[in-house]
Amino acid sequence: MAGTGQTIRTSRPVLSAGIRSFTFHGDAAPALEAVDLQVVPGTLTAVLGPSGSGKSTLGRLLADWLPPEGAGTLEGFLELAGTRLQFRGREDPRINPAEWGRHVGFVPQDPAAVLSTVRSTVAEELAFSLENAAMERPAMKAAVEHSAALLKLTELLDRNPAGLSGGQLRRLAIGCAIISGPEVLIMDEPFASLDSAGAADLALLVEDLVRRGTAVVVLSQVVDAPLLAAETWIVLARGTVTASGPPVELLGQGQLPSGIRSSGSGPAAEPGVHQPAKAPDTVPRAPVLELRGVSFDYRPANRTGRRRRALREATGSDRRGHGVLSGIDLKVRPGEIVAVTGPNAAGKSTLLRHVNGLLRPTAGSVLVHGTDITGAPAGETARSVGLLFQQPRDQLFERTVLREVQFGLDRLFHPGEAAARALAALSAVGLAAAAPRHPAELPASGQRLLALATVLARKPSVLALDEPTVALDGDGLALLDAAVRSAAGEGAAVVLVTHDLDYARATAHRVVTLDGGRLNG
Amino acid sequence: MRLHPLTSLAAAGSTAVVTTAAASWPLSVAVMGAALAVSVRVGTARRLLPAAAVVLLPLGLSLLMVHGLFFPEGRTVLGQWGPARVTMEGLAFAFERAAQLGAVVLALLVFSFSVSVPDLVAALSARGVHGRFAFVLASTLTLLPAIAARVERIRQAQESRGLVIRPGLLHRAAAFRLQAVPLVLSLIEDAGTRTAALESRGFSNPGPRTSYREVPDSGRQRVLRAVLAVSAGAAVAARLWLSRAGG
Amino acid sequence: MSSPSLTLPSPAPAAARKRRLLEILGAVAIAGTYIYLVLNQPADITGGPGSASALIALSGFLAGAILLIVAVLPTLPASTVVLIPVALVLNIVLGQFVGSTLVPFYLDAIGTVLIAVLAGPAAGAATGALSSIVWSFFNPTVLPFAAGAALIGCLAGLAARHGMFRRFYLAPVAGFLTGIIGGVVSAPVAAFVFGGTSGVATGAIVSAFRSMGDTLLAAITKQALISDPMDKAIVFTVVAILVYALPGRARLQFPFIRRYRVLAGQAPKQGC
Repeated sequence: MAGTGQTIRTSRPVLSAGIRSFTFHGDAAPALEAVDLQVVPGTLTAVLGPSGSGKSTLGRLLADWLPPEGAGTLEGFLELAGTRLQFRGREDPRINPAEWGRHVGFVPQDPAAVLSTVRSTVAEELAFSLENAAMERPAMKAAVEHSAALLKLTELLDRNPAGLSGGQLRRLAIGCAIISGPEVLIMDEPFASLDSAGAADLALLVEDLVRRGTAVVVLSQVVDAPLLAAETWIVLARGTVTASGPPVELLGQGQLPSGIRSSGSGPAAEPGVHQPAKAPDTVPRAPVLELRGVSFDYRPANRTGRRRRALREATGSDRRGHGVLSGIDLKVRPGEIVAVTGPNAAGKSTLLRHVNGLLRPTAGSVLVHGTDITGAPAGETARSVGLLFQQPRDQLFERTVLREVQFGLDRLFHPGEAAARALAALSAVGLAAAAPRHPAELPASGQRLLALATVLARKPSVLALDEPTVALDGDGLALLDAAVRSAAGEGAAVVLVTHDLDYARATAHRVVTLDGGRLNG
Repeated sequence: MRLHPLTSLAAAGSTAVVTTAAASWPLSVAVMGAALAVSVRVGTARRLLPAAAVVLLPLGLSLLMVHGLFFPEGRTVLGQWGPARVTMEGLAFAFERAAQLGAVVLALLVFSFSVSVPDLVAALSARGVHGRFAFVLASTLTLLPAIAARVERIRQAQESRGLVIRPGLLHRAAAFRLQAVPLVLSLIEDAGTRTAALESRGFSNPGPRTSYREVPDSGRQRVLRAVLAVSAGAAVAARLWLSRAGG
Repeated sequence: MSSPSLTLPSPAPAAARKRRLLEILGAVAIAGTYIYLVLNQPADITGGPGSASALIALSGFLAGAILLIVAVLPTLPASTVVLIPVALVLNIVLGQFVGSTLVPFYLDAIGTVLIAVLAGPAAGAATGALSSIVWSFFNPTVLPFAAGAALIGCLAGLAARHGMFRRFYLAPVAGFLTGIIGGVVSAPVAAFVFGGTSGVATGAIVSAFRSMGDTLLAAITKQALISDPMDKAIVFTVVAILVYALPGRARLQFPFIRRYRVLAGQAPKQGC
């Protein structure tokens, strides 16, 4: 297996595709057009593209996670292990998903969606595909142990998959994809939302798989450090390939669109966009937001146990006793941008949910404009505090983008002003042209920006952002940056939590670290 | 001894059928007592009693109201207020029905609160066409808490956007729409991804399957299951035959 | 070991025939039980509990529901099978939410009707029956209503196939009619198996009819005709709101929706 780079280069592709076009049912324009690619064993291929460029669609088509006969109309061919399937849009071959899955493993962006929901331990979840292939139990046990060791899941084999943390879930999802030894492994944004330790582990795993002869394909809108080692980059924009070749070539020619971010900071194409943040005017002003000795833990105390548990699962941060806060003091003045960093599951999201009263501190108090918000419904506090969640789709519920931003504005402003504000907020995040579209059909980056617009339109005096870099592509991040700066410029206090220390340093006036439930810095 | 899940299912189901067929209140009361004893013995009584109460109290009250107060067929009148007429026959009917249903409900709940769902799924999956039913059962039980947590998360996200749920039917209906739309949309999207994940892992394979989880079974339990099934069938047949013979 | 093909063969017609046979058997079992119970009006209903009629109602309806599941479940595409548990949870979760606000209804079929609209009558029937069977894990008293729930799912799917969801105002009408049929079919179960109803509010309505001298079956059927049509009209309306709120791509991934043009091309321009 271990060959030199030269022999690998010349070996035949295991998976190749020639997609003339792929159109979803009901769409007028194709989602993919003129995309050709070949995947060679023992190599790493990176498909880079901004949000909405068709990366996930391509990845899912290659892995048969988007069966061409059901989801839309495919014209072109897919070739796997020497078998070429030709698609014309009618009387097409129906792919056998189980057999395809034995050759091509896929790990989607949201690893929780992979879980079968019918297996009660990590070991059984891993074994699911082997059970369905009628493998004998001893062989199955050996395979599970082998994969678990590879993914550092051995300690977790008897745990319930529903209780795993985000990083553990991603490892499990990869394990489920590779346990049957596929020749190709496709991963969609695998490095997103992993902290540095998690990302390093994953990079090692990818290296190891490539060395063993697997063809690894990573779909990403960020040029994460491990992708610099890829043999080939394929750049996608608006559903078509705009450039491909070795990374050195593409970087040298400056062929990456601005939507693609380099790891950790803003748009790759504009490294100078981040001026060192200037502190706001030095005149001491009263803080807009103040946390005084805030402590919190999820001990089921006063309220009913079930509600607490639902809350804990809802915030997702507390799975093994994390998410507790002890004695947090924080003051944010108008115009100030404060970043809270810390490792995954340090309780950052929990802290942010205190800012608008979604969670009540077990001790201490939260003041907005000098008024204690404890006890006020979060819906009322939302007049002055805007919170951008990590997962935008929970926040969106209207049929069109414009209605989404207008929601609730009429109760705050005159009808005319409400409409003007909605449009202004939409153009601030670059979505003015998307006003009549369905929010759920925007790409992930667009959905987050829309959620941001709904917050900005209300002109909150406190802006709280949960992991703003996640799911935003380069252009989106630049828009977000501009919007946040302009909000701060108009006097809003901004608190953002992020695991991305570089981004925090580049954006905020002040960076504090949350670890072990305490704030440092 | 650890019972095979299908053995406990057969025991509970057979008890329920025989009790219904026998339709004799002393037997019903005895079955209720036995079910409670088993539940205390296996340590599920704490969870079982509230669940049983939620089902049986409204049912019992409803029966008491319908038959205790209005039973036109009743002859022995105990008291009368306007149209309401308390009769001996009505009360007896309500009591007998309540006892019979209580016995059936308790017998089945003892099973569902003591069975290990993963074992039950493994036992069903090993048996061909039942695989899909096992999937539906296990997946529902897994999704129930997860979706309840998602409803909570959506509520939080929307409150953060300034949604205040006011009392009143219309406000609540509007709030319901706002919360149900993102819930259903995200659930359908997730189901699509889960389908692809399951399919690529051989969910629809036509061939034989194996099971990673071991569920011990024995010849004696197999015989016991057969006996239980036959006795349930015999009870039904006997009841039908008796009623035919009796006119 | 032979190397299996990367493509699937086209489905065999023999399997379809077997499925059709089981479906018909299930429907016959349910219909036969209902007709027997109504024609014979067993005298022993209030004469003594227990009894043959309860057993006939139970076994006939349950056997029919199980036959339907056995016929339909293995033939459904995986995408529908994966949605069924979601629908069952929606039956419970959404039912609870609405149930806490609109008291006299059950609203426990939102998920079932949603599946029926997205995936067709067979899927709807299986979902309805499975909903009762799985829910009986926590509440065994819903088990006998499996046949009625299957009927609701099937009728909802037929309504969707014949365009009742293409116009927004037709959905509650379809729901109302479905409720009438569903209520009439479920009434014998309540009468013969429970000797009443499982809730206090519905029990009060039954009491009222009994006080006017109705037989138990008549009283419960009348109660069902008061509650069920309104209940299902609300459920169908809720489902129409939900499916029209879905983005086009999410709707059109369902072959049933594409094939029978279940939904209007454009979402209706009304603001609810």
